[in-house]
Amino acid sequence: MKRRQFIKNVALSSASLPFVSNGFGMQALSKKLFNFSTGAEDRVLVMIRLNGGNDGLNTVIPIDQYANLMLHRSEIIIPQNQILSVTPEVGFHPQMQGMKGLFDQGKLSVVQNVGYPEQNRSHFRSMDIWTSGSLDVSETRGWLGRYFDSYNPNYPSGYPNATYPDPFAISMGSEVTATCQGIAANFSHAVSNPNNAVNLYQGGFVNDGSYYGEHVEFVGTIIEQTNSFGQVIHAAAQAGSSLSAMYDPTNSLATQLKYVAQMISGGLKTKVYVLSLGGFDTHDNQADATNLQAGVHVGLIKKVSDAIAAFQDDLQLLGLEQRVVGMTFSEFGRQIESNASLGTDHGDAAPLFLFGTCIQSGIIGPNPTIASALPDQAGIAMQIDFRDVYASILRDWFQVPTNEVQQLFAHQVQFYSLAGTCNVSLEEQALANGSMLVYPNPTPSSVHVNVNLAEGRAMGELRDAHGATVKTYFDQSFPSGVHTIFCDMDGLASGTYFLVIRNNEKTFLEKVVKMK
Amino acid sequence: MSLTPYTGAWTRSEAAHLLRRTLFGPTHQQISSIANMSMNDAVNQLLTIASVNPPLAYDAGETMVPQGQTWINALYPSNPNSNQLCEMARVKSLTAWLMQNMNYQGMDISQKMFFFWHNHFGAAFSSDARATYTYLELLRTSGLGNVKQLVKDVTLDPAMLLFLNGNTNSVQHPNENYSRELLELFTIGKGDQIAAGDYSNYTELDVASGSKILSGYVVQGIRSSTLTAAQTLFLNPLHDTSAKTLSYHFGNATVANAGAQEYANYIDIIFQQPQVATFICTELYRFFVNYDLTNDVETNIIPALAQTMIANNYDILPVLQELFTSQHFYDVALLGSIIRSPLETVFSMLNSTETQINVNLATDYNIYLNIYYAAANMGLDFINPASVAGWEAFYLSPSFSRLWINSTTIKFRFDLATGLFVFGIPINGYTLKVDTIPFLNNLSLPSSADAVIDDICELFIAKPVDVATHDDLVNILTNNLPNFEWTLQYNEYLNNPNNPTFVDPVRYRVQLVLDRVFKMPQYQMI
Repeated sequence: MKRRQFIKNVALSSASLPFVSNGFGMQALSKKLFNFSTGAEDRVLVMIRLNGGNDGLNTVIPIDQYANLMLHRSEIIIPQNQILSVTPEVGFHPQMQGMKGLFDQGKLSVVQNVGYPEQNRSHFRSMDIWTSGSLDVSETRGWLGRYFDSYNPNYPSGYPNATYPDPFAISMGSEVTATCQGIAANFSHAVSNPNNAVNLYQGGFVNDGSYYGEHVEFVGTIIEQTNSFGQVIHAAAQAGSSLSAMYDPTNSLATQLKYVAQMISGGLKTKVYVLSLGGFDTHDNQADATNLQAGVHVGLIKKVSDAIAAFQDDLQLLGLEQRVVGMTFSEFGRQIESNASLGTDHGDAAPLFLFGTCIQSGIIGPNPTIASALPDQAGIAMQIDFRDVYASILRDWFQVPTNEVQQLFAHQVQFYSLAGTCNVSLEEQALANGSMLVYPNPTPSSVHVNVNLAEGRAMGELRDAHGATVKTYFDQSFPSGVHTIFCDMDGLASGTYFLVIRNNEKTFLEKVVKMK
Repeated sequence: MSLTPYTGAWTRSEAAHLLRRTLFGPTHQQISSIANMSMNDAVNQLLTIASVNPPLAYDAGETMVPQGQTWINALYPSNPNSNQLCEMARVKSLTAWLMQNMNYQGMDISQKMFFFWHNHFGAAFSSDARATYTYLELLRTSGLGNVKQLVKDVTLDPAMLLFLNGNTNSVQHPNENYSRELLELFTIGKGDQIAAGDYSNYTELDVASGSKILSGYVVQGIRSSTLTAAQTLFLNPLHDTSAKTLSYHFGNATVANAGAQEYANYIDIIFQQPQVATFICTELYRFFVNYDLTNDVETNIIPALAQTMIANNYDILPVLQELFTSQHFYDVALLGSIIRSPLETVFSMLNSTETQINVNLATDYNIYLNIYYAAANMGLDFINPASVAGWEAFYLSPSFSRLWINSTTIKFRFDLATGLFVFGIPINGYTLKVDTIPFLNNLSLPSSADAVIDDICELFIAKPVDVATHDDLVNILTNNLPNFEWTLQYNEYLNNPNNPTFVDPVRYRVQLVLDRVFKMPQYQMI
C-alpha cells in the first residue's frame, strides 16, 4: 500500500487534510488555546525500546481482520471476546487496561504499520537501522546523536559547561543508547539509580594519539562526566519527587520511569530519556498452550502498559504533562503466521505508541490487511517510515526547523502531525507578534498559510529566488484576524521560493522550499 | 600470502602483551617465564587447552547427589518443586565453577578461547544445567579445534536446539531462528543488503531452506528424573524430506534429503565459501588484536589469516599460531588497544595479584557467585550473553570495547577495586579481601619502591606510564616519605613476618597503590 492511502481512523483534524503536517485548522486553534505554552527548550522525549521485536498483531489487534488472523495464528491469538476495543476496528491486548485508559483520555496514539523499506529481519541490523535512523550500513551515528552533533560538534570535549550542565540524554540502566551515538562520543549518560551519589577518583591523563591514548582520554572523560553529571543528576533526584501510587515496584520499566519523573521534576534539563525492556523475541511460548492470557508476551505487554499509565499519571500529578511526550519502538514486528513453538518469528512492520498530552491522539493509519492465504514468512507491510516518525517528533516537539530535520536523514522526509498539539499556543503567539506560518515546509506540493491580518487590503504572491513573481494568490479586502489560506504550488519546479503577503503597511515574508 | 613473522627482540614487554591478550590477568612470574622462552615456545605453550574438574554440588537445593560430588550426569527430582530447587542449585554451582576456572586458569589460552566461542554462539543458559554444562564444555574443549566440526556439534547440541528453537523446527511448522543465526552470526556472516532479502552472502531463501534442512530434531530428557542427560533425537516424520535449493551465493546448490546427515552436508556447503574464514578471522582479530580494521588489516592481515584457516581446513590453531608470532601482533601501536571486559577487569584484580579462592567448597562457590555478579553489574552476565550475537563491545561500531565503560559501569569498577583491596567484601560471614603480601613478595625486588611500582605498572598497564604517574604511585607506596623508608619498612617486615605491627603497614601500602592503579584510566586497557 502506498503512503498516500494513509488515513486516520479517528479524524481529529480536518478530514480534507489527512496527510498535511501541522494541519491545524481554526477549530483546532480554539481547542488548543487552553494549552499551557512551554518553549521547546523545556521539552523531554522519553523513548521505550521493546527489545527483541514486539508482536504488533497481538498488541494492537485489527479486529476487522480477525477471521483471517485466526487462520494463521489461532494458537496464540487473543480470544476475540477478551480484546479491549478502542475503536470499532482496533483493539488492544487485554492486559493493556492502562494504555486503553490513556487512549480514552486522548493521551495515547497508535501509529500503525511502522517500518522501513526492504525490512531486514536480523535483530542486530534492524536495531541498528532503528537507532541510527538510516538504512545505510556505514552510518554509525544515532539519529539523536546526529541531531546533538549538529549543535555540539566538539562533544565531549568541553562538556559539561555553564550552558549545558546536564546530560543531553540519559539511558536508564547500565548501557548507553545507540540512538545518541555521535561522531566522537555517545551523548547519553547511563544512570541506573539517580538517588545514588557519585564521586569517583579523577586522575590526570595524557592522550598520546595511539589507540591506547584515545581510550585513556575516553575513559578519563567518562570519569569526569560521571562526577559532574552525577552531581547534577543526584541533586535533581533529591529535589524532585514522584507522586503517583500506580508504579508497581516489581515492574522494572515502571521503576525506571519513576526515576525519570523524579529527575524531570527535580529540574534536570536532559532532553531525552531512553529506557529498554527486553524479552520480546517470542519465538516460543509467546502464549500459554492452555491459557491464552498467560505466556511470555502477556507479562511483557502488561509491564509496558502499566508502566506508561503510571508514568503519565505521575506527570499529571507533578504538573509536567505539557513537557513530556513518549514513544515506544522495536526493531520489527513478527510474522503473521505463528510457529510450532507457540511463538512467532521475525517479521516486518508493527505499530508504535506515542503518549502524552501533546501528541496527536488516536489511531494513525489504517489496519493492516491480512489475507486468507499468505506466502511463507509473511510479515506486515510497512506504510509509515519510522524515520518520518522521528523527523516529525523533532519538528513538532523539539521545534527543529524542517530543513535541519531533513539534513539529519538521507531519505526525503515526509512529515506527519504527531506531537504538535501543544504548539498551537506558541504559534498563536508567533502570529500575534506578526509573523506568518507556512506549512508544510519544505513541501512536496502546496502550502497553507496562517497569517494574522489587519482589516483592509492584502495581497499575496510567490516569488522565485531571483525575486520574480511566479504566482499571485489574492489581492482583496480581509476582516481582521487569523486567516488560513491555501497557496497552490503545483506545477512548480523544485527549489526555493518566497511567499510574500502585504497587508496595509506591513509585509510578511517566508522562505518556502519545494521538494519533489 | 602469510603474515610477516615477528623478528624483533623478545622481551618482557612482548611477553606481557601476549599474556594480557591470551589470559585473564597474568602474574609477574608468568611474564618472566614467557619472556625467558623463545617466542615460538611461548606461543605453543599458550595454545593448549587445559583440563578442568567438573562442577560440584554444594547448595542445599541439590538433593540428588551429596555435597562435593558432581551433578553433571545426575537425575533430577521428580517432584516439580524439588526439581526447580535442584535446577537453581545446579545453575549456581555451574556459574560459580565457571568463575573458578577463570580464577584457576593455567598458562594457556583455554579460558580466553572459551570466552571467544561463548560470545560467538551467544546462547544463554538452558533450562537444564546439565545441558548448559555440556554445551559450555563443548565450546571450551573445542576452543582450538576445528571450526567446521564445532559448528556441526553446536548445531545438534541440546542447549543450542533449545535456545534457537531447533527443537521445534519441523516440516509441519518451520522455525527459522537457528537457520538464520547459523548464517548471519555463526558462519558466513551478514553483508550489506544488496537486494530485497539478499544479504550479500546469503538470502532469505537460504534461511528458509536451511530451516527445512535442519528440521526434525527434538530434545528429550530436560530436567528428567529418568534420563541422566539431555539428548538430541532425530525424528524422520518431523524432517522435511523435499530437496532444498540454496541461492546463487551457494552456487544454487541443491541439498538432497539425507535425513539425520543432512545438516552436516549443508554445513559443508556453507564452509565451502571462503567468506566463512574471513568472517571468523575478522572476529578473532577483533577479539585478540584490535577493533579497527584499517586498510592494511583488511588487505594484508585478515586475508592472510583466512587463507591459513582454509589451507588447514578450518583448524583454528595454525591461525592463532600465525597471528601470535606475527610482526603485526607486536606492533607497539596496538598496545592497549582493547578496553578490558568486566571479566578481564575482575580477574586481573584477582589473578595478577595471585589471589585464588580456597576456603571451603560452599564458601568458595559463594564467593565465585559474587564475583560473577560483579562482572554482571559491569555489563557481562556470563551465562546470559547480551544477545545471540554476543556482547556489543565485540561487534558494535564505532565504540566496540568502549561500550564496557559508562558512568554506571565505571563506578562499579571503582567500587570493586575498593571492595577487594581496601574494605573487603563480606560474603556469608567471610570477608573477601586481597592479601597483597604474597603478591609483593613475588615481585622482582620488593624492597625497592621504584621496582615495585615498575612491576605493578607492567602487570596492569598496557603501555609504560609517564614519570609523573610513576612518582605518584611511589608516593602512595612510601606514604610520601623518601624511598629508603619503604626499604626499611619492608626489611623490618621480613625480619618480623608474623608481627602485625610490621606486616600490616606493608600490606596496606600495596593495597592503596593497587586501589589507585585500578582507578586510573590507563588501567582499563589490555
